[in-house]
Amino acid sequence: METILEVQGLVKHFPLPGSRAKVQAVNNISFCISKGETLALVGESGSGKTTVGRCVLGLLEATAGSIRFRGGEMGKRRHVRTPELRGRLQLVFQEPAEALDPRMRIGESIEEPLRAVNLPAAERGKRVAEVVDRVGLTMEILDQYPLTLSAGQQQRVGIARAIITKPELIVLDEPTSALDPTARAEIIDLLLRLQQESGSAYLFISHDLSAVRYISRRIAVMYLGMIIEQGDAAEVFRTPRHPYSIGLLSSVLLPDPSLRRLTSISLRGEIPSPINLPKGCYLTSRCPFADDRCRREMPPAEDLGGNHVVRCFKHQEVAETERAADTFEEFQRTAERILSV
Amino acid sequence: MEDAILEVEDLHVTYHVYGKEPVKALRGLDFEIKPGDILGLVGESGSGKTTLARSIMGLVPAPGRIERGRILFDGEDLTAKSREAMQSIRGRDLTMVVPNPRAELNPLVPVGRQVANVARVHLGLSKAQANRAALEMLQAVKISDPERRFHTYPHELSGGMAQRVVIAMALVCSPKFIISDDATSGLDVTVQAQVLELLNRLVSEKRTAMLYITRDVGVTAHFCDRLAIIYDGQIVETAKTAELIEYPMHPYTLMLMAAFSQNPRLRSMWTKAGSRIASEAGRQGCPFAPRCVRAEPRCYQDSVALRELRPGHLVRCHIPVTR
Repeated sequence: METILEVQGLVKHFPLPGSRAKVQAVNNISFCISKGETLALVGESGSGKTTVGRCVLGLLEATAGSIRFRGGEMGKRRHVRTPELRGRLQLVFQEPAEALDPRMRIGESIEEPLRAVNLPAAERGKRVAEVVDRVGLTMEILDQYPLTLSAGQQQRVGIARAIITKPELIVLDEPTSALDPTARAEIIDLLLRLQQESGSAYLFISHDLSAVRYISRRIAVMYLGMIIEQGDAAEVFRTPRHPYSIGLLSSVLLPDPSLRRLTSISLRGEIPSPINLPKGCYLTSRCPFADDRCRREMPPAEDLGGNHVVRCFKHQEVAETERAADTFEEFQRTAERILSV
Repeated sequence: MEDAILEVEDLHVTYHVYGKEPVKALRGLDFEIKPGDILGLVGESGSGKTTLARSIMGLVPAPGRIERGRILFDGEDLTAKSREAMQSIRGRDLTMVVPNPRAELNPLVPVGRQVANVARVHLGLSKAQANRAALEMLQAVKISDPERRFHTYPHELSGGMAQRVVIAMALVCSPKFIISDDATSGLDVTVQAQVLELLNRLVSEKRTAMLYITRDVGVTAHFCDRLAIIYDGQIVETAKTAELIEYPMHPYTLMLMAAFSQNPRLRSMWTKAGSRIASEAGRQGCPFAPRCVRAEPRCYQDSVALRELRPGHLVRCHIPVTR
């Protein structure tokens, strides 16, 4: 598979004004995305997911590390602002209502990105009509303003704006979390269909594990600016090996009271501040397995085979205590039983 | 049989917007909650969930008005109470936890004192007694290092910690009834799980009743004793949690559950793309009909009442789903 995005050792620190301290938002992460593939970045707020997305798009300049898009270096801002790259990377935002200009008609909003790539007017109109149809909206909507649309429709407009330049990579930053469950399911279906049609790659940033399980083939779990577990989505969901991934998965609540990932591992407390990062493994303050070594050293990224990579000294112990189970898969059987009438 | 702590009877709330058609947010709501019970109220945005919470608290914002119906709390009709009378009930016997906890707290007052103030005003405690009660409450909601946190300001707390403080404020007077309006939806999943467990434990220890309002049917399945599905200001289905999840009968309930399925075939069985809630004019029949995959001509014409189709399981549908 052709790799289109390669991130190596990405670091992003934000200086705090008036002090020597820094917000260490992203601390040495590496991943790559192939053509037409979806990688999900999951983690709690404050884990640095959005910062990674913004660095990839060139909206933030990386402190260290390299970001290569189609082989070209993007880590520095000046590399990104070139006409050749315009329109090849796109972004869909979390709050669709806030991402659209309230005083611009929907049609103008959708057309706007094409002006940036200097397409002639005749061609622009054709493209707008085409994407409006592809995202499941009707032409009447073009004369309306964002306020008159539902959140689900607004997000379709956001997606239309992103796909209109035929990007090779779309960064989706929590595109479903502001939506009702039914609208969320529709948007996910739409994103899957668009990807099949166009072959765009997605970097899907989300804390919504149901959406992630459904949309992505690979998943990277982030905690305090590090990827602590990465692998094939089905495998990570079935046999997570990092205590944090397990805590995250056991917090998932699906509409079946008998289904919850059974585990003896539970996370205490909350994510520490990224200003004063703990020594050693960042999870020690919340992890039931932590011992002296964990408090002293940062565990290395270890490949368990099949590209399942985990950063934990205790992954073997975790493997022994954890029963393999994928609640999402189990829920499919419940859903089949209840919904097939 | 124990008496219900809260009974809502035929509640109608309408927003009268000048120059526009009135918006009927609640259109005849009936339910009751017994002490120690958690009722999960599930609906999408715009279904009237928050209007209901505000109606019970006596805080329907203008231009909204309770048109009809009663809200019996501990045997007394809250809709007939004066503003002063409501003020003494609200915060003491009847409390609410809202989303966005940091906006709820006063940014200029240390959080411990905010909890203590509630106890001083409503229970008439001295300053020292109230501080002690507040400290105990901060411990009960599992805030680490409560003595120190007592003196911190809201901006110094994380979202999860701030939500715990708001819960402590809601519980410090040992209320009889708590409304949680989307209180955990802004939290991260691991923190949400902790807060839910906490609420569950505190509610069952003190036999407090709770109305848990959310748009996520997944959370309620694990956390509530009974569920009520609300659509367009009406309850369309209600039953005990296990019963409702195992035998959903209203097509809307099935559509909500299908949203969690990863199988496009199952989802398309229950989801019809297109129109949302119908406009007020010309609305007849079942309000869900335009989105319903099973709608027949009569669904657009005849309105339908809640009927008990299985023991304790009420459904508002002409063509309920059975299997």
